[in-house]
Amino acid sequence: MSIVTTTVKLDFPIEPLSTDIAAALDRPPTIDVLPSRLIITPDTPQSVALNIRRTSPRVFSFTFPESRTLAAPLSAPLCVPPSLPLSVSPSTTNPFATSPTSPRQTTRIKPPGDIIKLEDRLYYVLQPPIETLIQSDSLHFPCEPFPYQYQGIAFLYPRYAAVLADEMGLGKTMQSITAIRMLIRLGELRRVLLVCPKPLVTNWRREFGMWAPEIPLTIIEGDAAKRRWQWTEANTPVRIANYELLMRDREVLGELLPFDLVMLDEAQRIKNTSSTTSDIVRSIRRTRNWALTGTPIENTPNDLVGIFEFLSPGYLRHGLGPKRLSELVQDYILRRTKDQVLTDMPPKLYRDAELDLSPEQRATYEMAETEGVMQLNHLGDEITIQHVFELVLRLKQICNFDPATGTSSKLERLEADLEEVAASGKKAIVFSQWVKCLEILGHQLRRFGPLQYHGKVPSQKRDGVLKQFKDDPTKHVILMSYGAGSVGLNLQFCEYVFLFDRWWNPAVEDQAINRAHRIGVKGAVTITRMLSLGTIEERINQILQHKRELFDQIIGQTAAPASLGLSQSEIFGLFNLRTPKGTIKPAA
Amino acid sequence: MSSTSTSPLSLGFLTVVEHPELGLLGGYLLLNATGRPLEFHCTAPVKPNRAQEILYGPTLRPFLYGEQIGQTLLAKSKLTPVLVCTDSEPMLAVRDHTHIPVALVEPRERQSVVVSATADLPSKTAFRLGQNHLLLPVPYVADEQTIRQHWPTQADHLDLAEPFTRIREALDEAQKIARAA
Repeated sequence: MSIVTTTVKLDFPIEPLSTDIAAALDRPPTIDVLPSRLIITPDTPQSVALNIRRTSPRVFSFTFPESRTLAAPLSAPLCVPPSLPLSVSPSTTNPFATSPTSPRQTTRIKPPGDIIKLEDRLYYVLQPPIETLIQSDSLHFPCEPFPYQYQGIAFLYPRYAAVLADEMGLGKTMQSITAIRMLIRLGELRRVLLVCPKPLVTNWRREFGMWAPEIPLTIIEGDAAKRRWQWTEANTPVRIANYELLMRDREVLGELLPFDLVMLDEAQRIKNTSSTTSDIVRSIRRTRNWALTGTPIENTPNDLVGIFEFLSPGYLRHGLGPKRLSELVQDYILRRTKDQVLTDMPPKLYRDAELDLSPEQRATYEMAETEGVMQLNHLGDEITIQHVFELVLRLKQICNFDPATGTSSKLERLEADLEEVAASGKKAIVFSQWVKCLEILGHQLRRFGPLQYHGKVPSQKRDGVLKQFKDDPTKHVILMSYGAGSVGLNLQFCEYVFLFDRWWNPAVEDQAINRAHRIGVKGAVTITRMLSLGTIEERINQILQHKRELFDQIIGQTAAPASLGLSQSEIFGLFNLRTPKGTIKPAA
Repeated sequence: MSSTSTSPLSLGFLTVVEHPELGLLGGYLLLNATGRPLEFHCTAPVKPNRAQEILYGPTLRPFLYGEQIGQTLLAKSKLTPVLVCTDSEPMLAVRDHTHIPVALVEPRERQSVVVSATADLPSKTAFRLGQNHLLLPVPYVADEQTIRQHWPTQADHLDLAEPFTRIREALDEAQKIARAA
């Protein structure tokens, strides 16, 4: 197959078309200038200005007074007399003198609820732990306090109204003395008045010597002129007076400058606001008020109202329910029991010696009760609580000893037990409510070397009696009345307590028992409660037991274990007697 | 900061509490040599804004703690302490704004391992003062000598970690009052 090619000539003429566009092409151009926005694409990033605040935060400032702790506030030397046992070297006894690996106990001060102003609250919040304060102030102790005792000091330290209500034997004395000592060092206390029952004055003097030896004391005593001088002129930071003496010096008390602190020991003494004692104590001008008591509620919750009339008049009123009362007082009361804080303390072992009366005692008892009840019934509407009380006392005395023959089943049992006590070289306390009974026992138990400690023993001889009892190995038993021996004594070297007869109020019995069962006790304390079966003693015991259980349920933590004595109706009820208001049956 | 040559011998304790809602609360406590309080200063709550969070990045905490809070608190005190202790590492930044030595207090429970801790923190140097272990920022190592020169021997027994508990409780107390008001 072949390809054929053809040639075409293209040189033919071309004529332009006669159109407007052709003319326009020949026309020279004209240039016009028009306004226009020039848009240029940016070549840098867009920026945003941010406000970086550099204003200083608002500051709140508080300034506290310079501590005076480094300057001794007292004229007396601050060293501990060489005769007193000093604390062991800090490296072994001081929990906050530290090895880096040892756990450190610290107890902080918390401001009480009634301090409102922030600056005042911060003053306490910012204080160092109690242990640091004690170490900084170079306060020495004869022995290392327990942790709960540091807590007690921290409780008292910031308070202007406080009740330290620890159970007997936990060291209320040491805690309060240490708090006073620290506040005196700080300059917050310059005039302190301690009021206590008369038998305890020497005990307080001894305790101050032990726990705050550098603080000079004035014991208010002697004739009226001497006491006036002691009240008005004595230049010591701490005065100690007894309740009875306040009555006599009432006039002088009204002339005194205010005290920085008035502290009441056994503060249940002022539970009755209508009593003269309460009236006088409340009239003393003062800034701080502290009350010490192991039994803030002895009979009724109103006892607490009485104590608070001293602490903070008008704060409580009679008739408040237990729950409301507990709420109101909880910031003011610190109460610990041995069970709570001394879990490793030797136990109390109770033995109820329930004894039959001897035949002679039984015969006398039956006759006395029958005759007594008949006489009471004959009194009709004239009957009073005093009449019934006399019969109760008479019957209780027969339970101790038959007045005609002197026989006593309790004595027989006591002698048998004391044989064992003496043979093992131990010591025992025997409590009775009657001095006469103690004197009989003193005669009957003479082979055990009995010592007497009751109202007939002059107060200046009592310390000597206690010392002899402690030091003389031939003295195995001390015979004490509940009144003289139930408070303020340290007899923890005794391992046996006998309640020869029972007191009306278990709280008093507890106090008596705690003379022996307290800090320092080395072994279990055995308490023998003697009870004559089928007698008034058994009936009273049942009532008190029932009431104690009931009261524990109501009061709970704050005041437990408080206990109640016998009321008027219950005493009438012991014999199913008719009273001016009708027949009253036994309560239990 | 005002400085007085006659001011009583004092120790400063500076910290910040981080409150989940309010922000940062600064507290500065001055104690005498026996541990009793002389002055206390605290800030209103401080909260960084978003811009600060973005722009300061990892340096935000040293800025807030040291410059904003710490510097402000130090300036309020009438006293010049021997040493300012802190339990907060970012607070060491305040040293750049004051002539007073600032040291980080090791908590007691960590003091037994202080040597290894410093190995992990090469920016600090450790030394022992009384019963306490302290850490100084390396640029201020010379502060140790200054501190030792003025350190009161009666303060040897003080646990320098303990006052921070007081500051925290005081800040808490102040907040409670503020809320109630």
